[in-house]
Amino acid sequence: MATKRVQFSHSPIPYLFIVPQLAIIAVFFFWPALQALYLSFMLEDPWGLSSQFVGFENYVELFSSSEYLSTFAFTLLYSSIVTVFSLGVALVLAVKANAILRGQSTYQLLLTWVYAIAPAAAGIMAYFIFNRNIGVVPEFLNSFGWDFRPDTNSFDATAMVILVSVWKQVPVNFVFFLAGLNSISKSVREAAQMDCESDSRRFWTITFPLLAPTAFFLLVINITYAFFETFGLIDTLTQGRPGGSTTTLVYKVYQDGFIGADLGLSSAQSVVLMLLVLLLTFVQFKFIERKVHY
Amino acid sequence: MKKQIFRSIAFLGMFSSAAMATTSIEWWHGMGGNLGETVNKMAEEFNASQSDYRVVPIYKGTYEETMTAGISAFRAGEAPHIIQIFDAGAATLMNAKGAAKSVQEIMIENGYGFDIEDYVPGVRYFYGDDKGNMIGMPFNASTPVLYYNKELLAKAGVQPPKTWEEFEGIAKKLKAKGIAAFSQSHTPWIFFENFHSRHNIMMTDQNNGFSGLPKKLNYNNKHLAMHLTKMKEWKDKGYYNYYGSNWGDNQTPFEKQEVAMWFGSSGSFGGLKKSTDFDFGTTYLPYWNSVNKDAGTTFIGGAALFSMAGHSKAEYKAVAAFFDYMTKPETQYFWHKETGYVPITTAAYELAKKDGYYKANPDAEVGILQLSLDGGEWTKGYRMGFYPQTRESIYREIDRVMSDKTSVDNALKAIVKDGEKNLSRFARTVK
Amino acid sequence: MRQEKLFDHAILWVGVVFLLFPVWLLFASSTHTTETIIKEGLQFLPGGEGFGAYATALTSSIGGTEIATGLRMTINSLIMGIGFAVGKIVIAMCAAYTLVYFRIPMANFLFWIIFSTLLLPLEVRIVPSYEVVSQLGLLNSYTGLILPLIASATATFYFQQFFKTVPEELLEAAQLDNANAFKFFIDILVPLSKTMMAAMFIIMFVVGWNQYLWPIMMTTEEAYYTIVMGIKNVLSVVREGRIPEYNVAFAMIILAMLPPVAVVILFQRWFIQGLVESEK
Repeated sequence: MATKRVQFSHSPIPYLFIVPQLAIIAVFFFWPALQALYLSFMLEDPWGLSSQFVGFENYVELFSSSEYLSTFAFTLLYSSIVTVFSLGVALVLAVKANAILRGQSTYQLLLTWVYAIAPAAAGIMAYFIFNRNIGVVPEFLNSFGWDFRPDTNSFDATAMVILVSVWKQVPVNFVFFLAGLNSISKSVREAAQMDCESDSRRFWTITFPLLAPTAFFLLVINITYAFFETFGLIDTLTQGRPGGSTTTLVYKVYQDGFIGADLGLSSAQSVVLMLLVLLLTFVQFKFIERKVHY
Repeated sequence: MKKQIFRSIAFLGMFSSAAMATTSIEWWHGMGGNLGETVNKMAEEFNASQSDYRVVPIYKGTYEETMTAGISAFRAGEAPHIIQIFDAGAATLMNAKGAAKSVQEIMIENGYGFDIEDYVPGVRYFYGDDKGNMIGMPFNASTPVLYYNKELLAKAGVQPPKTWEEFEGIAKKLKAKGIAAFSQSHTPWIFFENFHSRHNIMMTDQNNGFSGLPKKLNYNNKHLAMHLTKMKEWKDKGYYNYYGSNWGDNQTPFEKQEVAMWFGSSGSFGGLKKSTDFDFGTTYLPYWNSVNKDAGTTFIGGAALFSMAGHSKAEYKAVAAFFDYMTKPETQYFWHKETGYVPITTAAYELAKKDGYYKANPDAEVGILQLSLDGGEWTKGYRMGFYPQTRESIYREIDRVMSDKTSVDNALKAIVKDGEKNLSRFARTVK
Repeated sequence: MRQEKLFDHAILWVGVVFLLFPVWLLFASSTHTTETIIKEGLQFLPGGEGFGAYATALTSSIGGTEIATGLRMTINSLIMGIGFAVGKIVIAMCAAYTLVYFRIPMANFLFWIIFSTLLLPLEVRIVPSYEVVSQLGLLNSYTGLILPLIASATATFYFQQFFKTVPEELLEAAQLDNANAFKFFIDILVPLSKTMMAAMFIIMFVVGWNQYLWPIMMTTEEAYYTIVMGIKNVLSVVREGRIPEYNVAFAMIILAMLPPVAVVILFQRWFIQGLVESEK
């Protein structure tokens, strides 16, 4: 149990302290979550004037729609690529930052500030940098013979969204990797230095396994990021285009629910997302934490 | 309610000279930039012209975002008094019994009188119900037209095309001079909806949705398939430059003289005048002689002003006064001149003519002339529920056609499948 | 060995430039005229216009009426960021206090209730959240902007973990009874948590400031626009085929980034601590 051994005895005071939190959770978390569940079984007109129970129809509609399934596939692909790249880049930077003696804190500063930029602001910024009229990237890529057209070419658009998403996520991973590396005690490192002469062998046989818990924990953080937090980035950068090729599941909830005004269908998508998050959490608890030795 | 009181108090504080009886109404719109400034000017002028009512224009982003905001607000019981709803979204509003209050009704109830014959034929019934009552006031009515760069066309020694058959020859000559013929800014509007109007082809059952809730979407017809196949062919030949689904991405190349012609809205006229420094002309949307040699009118696009249900009598009185002001020939003429949107009343059109506006700017008349062309059975308008979503499907599939990800046939099948799903889901929500 | 070090530094600098480059490009361009940007594209070096575009950005709005000026939106974002951070810290500390120091019935159950909020981000319940807020009449209010975001319990767990590390001798020494429960909290726990609170504040401020989807949905009055959602109007302008005042637009985007970035840089140590602790 999470409580301390020495505690105040029973009185109304503890309730006073915890009630605000519980009230907010009840009103702004459970009520909406249950309502999403309820709406997912309904067919409602946009203005909320009429509503009818339709059972699992919205779910059947979803999973028989090839659009939804391809959005699903894209989201999985996109989040894996973003995760792999942003973890990879951050790991390299963290290892290098850890290796140098002087100026580590300066590098930490210079490599983490991007964390504070809103995904939506990053998306707008990227929109201009990748813009074919004023941006610098298309010109640069054209000079290599890459006819870069994110407005019409789905590969180019996907590459662009992934690059910007990685840019935004590297700092978080860097902070955790560096913290992880710093916490590997000096004695372990010194012992390792004596045992293996080769830097890369030392990294793969000793440092990397010790970083594994951090990496697995970051895996979940990054997948969550790619699923949910990239909404603003996608809305400003591509709006899920071209041809729906950069539409993530969360973006589709927004499109169908807001632009489309189809609340039932959109709520069913929300519920599917909730189940996905639950699954992710379950995996995190049951499998990953067990496999990794702390 | 409480908020309304606070708001009035705030206003009283700000405008202490205003009388206690001022009724304030909100007008949500999707007009940004130059258009937004013109909207603000009109509201200011209305507010200055009398002291009983005060209209507050609020910019809500794009048409889609404005509509979304309106839906959310209505559900929350906070609907604005007036909201601008775009062509594709109108059916979603007009079919919902009790969401909007008919303009015609508001005008009559408040003693302003209303004669639908005052309105230009092309715009009269587009936002009307099956009995011919006007529900929404066609505020910013536009229609797709062809803009052409005179200098670039002269270079190739060609005139703007009247028909698509002519176009092919012209595009070839332009191409020979290294000039791409055209870009266009709104595939669903220009090449789906107005393609059917211009050629007088049915869009849906139930009389394009005017006599009931439609279930069948007619987009998978051989004429449209032919046209889209041609578009793809033109793109591959370098006649047609495709810049994706955003309006601006396709307009900019025309402004930068990267393409010789551009299909846009008659409402783009005012903006183009400011953003270009070359001589451009305006003409009708081309048609296929092989499909209908007597091609006629197009649909009006743009948006209409709807009054949301659930407000007080005094507030509707203010709405009526404002609508009365908005339909005055002088107001309409001002709006027409500033933006290029067509005048919606015959009186305003006459005023523009009398003023010699079209003598000086013959291009500004193209939109209204096109809307005054002969109509047919299928040119009155269309009424499709959840249609903004169907438009998204069109954008998506055309993106795919243009990048060789799908065929025209499969794209049309997918669009019809999505569109009919939207129609049938919507039909079931209407009680 | 020396060469290796140089190589390490080189890699790190590649990373630094990769992160800095896009923001620099936008900043440099914001000090040029719109005409230069239209003709020559984004600029790598600062121009001769100085910070004029920033003054314009603060006093004008993009797209909307003049209510949502850059300054107004910045103030709204500050209210949102600070309100969210303070609200969350206060509520979380109180709840964590109860969970750690009191034996109450169903404590286990409450723990899991609070814990479950970590599972579902606001994005997946956003439509019904909007309905709830509107039913409560909180649309277009700071309360409505902030409260639903506080509903997740990240900070609660963070403080719960921290309180557990507070030496028990303190509580024993205090010899407290129920009457002194407030006193213990205010006089002992709060001062002890200062660093923790600061660290959490930095993170939560950034999270609150950067909200995008929620303010878009919930604010229908320009007076409540935040700057992160407000800069979206720049895109509406471009997407509708109009040419924005590029330098002002870029200045606005930089303004939207500046405060959270400044906070993270100035309070780097707390930021790192907060980040590492809050995500655990």
